[in-house]
Amino acid sequence: MKAKRISWKEIKRQKFLVICTVCFVIYGIIFYYIPLGGWIMAFQNYKSRDGFFGSEFVGLAKFKFLFSDSTFLRVIRNTLAMGVLNLVSTFFMAILFAILLNEVRLAIGKKFVQTVSYLPHFLSWIIVTGILHDALSSSGIVNELLIKCGILSGPINFFAHKGYFWPIVAFANVWKETGWNAIVYLAAITSIDPSLYEAATIDGAGRWAKIKNITLPGIKPTIMILLIMNIGNVLNAGFEVQYLLGNGLVKSVADTIDIYTLTWGVGQNDYSLGTAAGIFKSVVAIILIVAANQFAKKSGESRLF
Amino acid sequence: MKNSKLQRVLAFVLLAVMVFALAGCNKGKSGDIKEYTMFIAMPGSEINDDNEVAQIIAEKIGGRVKETWLTGQSAAEAVGSIIASNDYPDFIDGGDGMMALYNEGVLVPWDEYLESGKYPNLKEMYSDKEWESFRQADGHIYWANVFQNNYGENRATTHNDEAFWIQVKVLEWAGYPEIHTLDQYFDVLTRYAAEHPTTESGVATIPYTMLCEDWRYFCIENAPEFLDGYPNDGSVIVDKSSGTPTIVDYNTTPTAKKYFAKLNEQYQAGNIDIEFATQTYDQYIAKLSTGAVLGMCDQWWNFAYTINDVFKQQGLDKQGCNYIPLGLTIEEGMENRWHTYGDTLNNSSGVAVTTDCDDPDAAFKFLNDLLDQEIHDLRFWGVKDVDYLVDENGLYYRTEEMRTKAADPAYQASHLCNYSYMPQWLGTSRDGINAMQPTEQASEFLNGLAEPLVKCFQAYGADSYPDFIGSVVEENAPWFPMYSFSNAMTTETPGGVAWTKMGEVKHEWLPKVVMSKNFEETWEQYMSAYNAVNPQDFLNEMQQELDRRAAS
Repeated sequence: MKAKRISWKEIKRQKFLVICTVCFVIYGIIFYYIPLGGWIMAFQNYKSRDGFFGSEFVGLAKFKFLFSDSTFLRVIRNTLAMGVLNLVSTFFMAILFAILLNEVRLAIGKKFVQTVSYLPHFLSWIIVTGILHDALSSSGIVNELLIKCGILSGPINFFAHKGYFWPIVAFANVWKETGWNAIVYLAAITSIDPSLYEAATIDGAGRWAKIKNITLPGIKPTIMILLIMNIGNVLNAGFEVQYLLGNGLVKSVADTIDIYTLTWGVGQNDYSLGTAAGIFKSVVAIILIVAANQFAKKSGESRLF
Repeated sequence: MKNSKLQRVLAFVLLAVMVFALAGCNKGKSGDIKEYTMFIAMPGSEINDDNEVAQIIAEKIGGRVKETWLTGQSAAEAVGSIIASNDYPDFIDGGDGMMALYNEGVLVPWDEYLESGKYPNLKEMYSDKEWESFRQADGHIYWANVFQNNYGENRATTHNDEAFWIQVKVLEWAGYPEIHTLDQYFDVLTRYAAEHPTTESGVATIPYTMLCEDWRYFCIENAPEFLDGYPNDGSVIVDKSSGTPTIVDYNTTPTAKKYFAKLNEQYQAGNIDIEFATQTYDQYIAKLSTGAVLGMCDQWWNFAYTINDVFKQQGLDKQGCNYIPLGLTIEEGMENRWHTYGDTLNNSSGVAVTTDCDDPDAAFKFLNDLLDQEIHDLRFWGVKDVDYLVDENGLYYRTEEMRTKAADPAYQASHLCNYSYMPQWLGTSRDGINAMQPTEQASEFLNGLAEPLVKCFQAYGADSYPDFIGSVVEENAPWFPMYSFSNAMTTETPGGVAWTKMGEVKHEWLPKVVMSKNFEETWEQYMSAYNAVNPQDFLNEMQQELDRRAAS
């Protein structure tokens, strides 16, 4: 296929679209690219009183401090672990939920369930963590249930055990986002040609066979694109949940890169260290997204770029 | 068609009216009364915008303050975000973040205002020598601490310090025993709890809890210094026994190990709240408010102001839920210094005026006027004949009804306004009769005590809370309190980095040590994690400061 030359005439014809695009490009420059200038802080011993130009240049000293700090290494591990756990669980649950919902025949029931399921998405984390705190407290519903059922003899403090923290965070993410994430898949499913299903029915395919051979392959491109995008987001494992649910006891598994950035950058006024941690995070995110995209390309799937 | 046009015009007119009305409101309020903003890096309750006493004060001295308090974050993070936003309130009390504000150069130096003679009340707060101690490295004074500062005669009735507290009903049940050691303390608590598994209202009894959140983890952390008989230097022990004052780390003393071993034993026996390590300050206060917690280690100001009001409101004070302080030591028969007599000058934080304040002269005048006796009475006593009465000798007193009202949070928000982080006095009023604050008025204090407390005071022959502690009465050392130095440390120095990391290690390991099934092993792990962050760097800097303070 020969690439089309872009002519003035063409641009004039698409005036409206071009203007819209330009707006977003400007937006992107202002809010995504100009702030990158701040990265210089990572190479300085930045003091906001001295500004960008007055602060002492220290090269890679901040990065050296970062990678010799065992806390930072632990924080990377936590971020990756929770990121992957969240990705896998929310991703899997959303697809499962979309397919199950698609199989519901009763239209009203389907609409109702869908609406209810995506409502939690609109709750802010402070509310979700509040609910979790109450539900999991020693006199909360979970402990009460487990004790009444005879599974536990006394209440356990779920937030005091490191082993529970990641699952709690993953569960919170699943609860909050499953319904919302399923919307995209539901939309993808509706765009599958109904004649395929009809043909399969005539061939004697059951529900299971139809899901396996039509629905899943039908939404595969959507799944791949979303997977690639989400992999880039793995390091955004969260800030609010861990910040609000964490405590001194589970700190070693709860702190993420974002929290580290906050405590050192904002809390201790060491913007340089905070920025260095932020740069590291961005670099890893870029590597991940490129790798995922390459992988998709190799296996002949749809990809981002 | 016509109709819709009319609607549109009408809507526009309404909108215009609203805009003007809003603008008008603002103008009306800020006419000749200046509105100041203030951020306080502590949690607190905001008062209503139309608070009555705030309005009276505003009319008298031409200013009012909109206070904003810490919510959710730590003090350092809150101050950090204010610095990052570069948008400062007129007044600020940054707590631990004070040094960050100073380093940022956004505080107005007080020197010329203090020297000008125009603000005598403010100047009067401290002696010249005390003001000197607020001077920073650049030779200027930027803030004044507002607490623990007595005018005239000291009237202390409360133990405004740390102690192991115990509910008065427990003491009554046990026949008012003498309790001097940790062992005796936990023995009484657990025996009482065994016999009273729930409170009168059916809440499960919690023999002992501790708060471990953020900077308030002193509730678990610094007891070893007191158990060894040392005063509240906060972050270290100062040992004078060898002649030259020497810094000692209380985290690693044999007493510390014994104390945590005791907590561990009690936790394993089910006598310590299983949520202690994960509760937030709000949850902790809520727990205490039920009256179900028999004892804890805490500072009076960290719980009593809220809890005593709640107990009064709920009638729990009549059930003996109020707390009595105990001056415990690790062994029987040791001296203790839980109670600090006289003023404690914590020069590491206080109220400051920022460079964003457009009229610092007016701001300092406002601070000065808040110390005026009439205004001070309004702040802490309230409105005469409404919140307190005056007898023929000029003595202020309150009826039981007034006391209950003053303890009601709704009334506090709508009517009372004490600007609690602004300059204030303890001790005796300028009239020579009354106390500066009602809590220190002896007659008020005794009349305000619930019956179980009165019986307890009689049983132990105590007139005030410090009598229960029986601390050694002595002059504070010239370096006291050392925490005013460690609080102001930043991560600029190796000692400051060590101090921050020591805090992180302790936040994680102290609860672990208490909850561990194998105390010895966990203690060893804790010690190696602790030593790995170079506490010696911190101790060295503390020793330098101690030497400096001892020499001056």
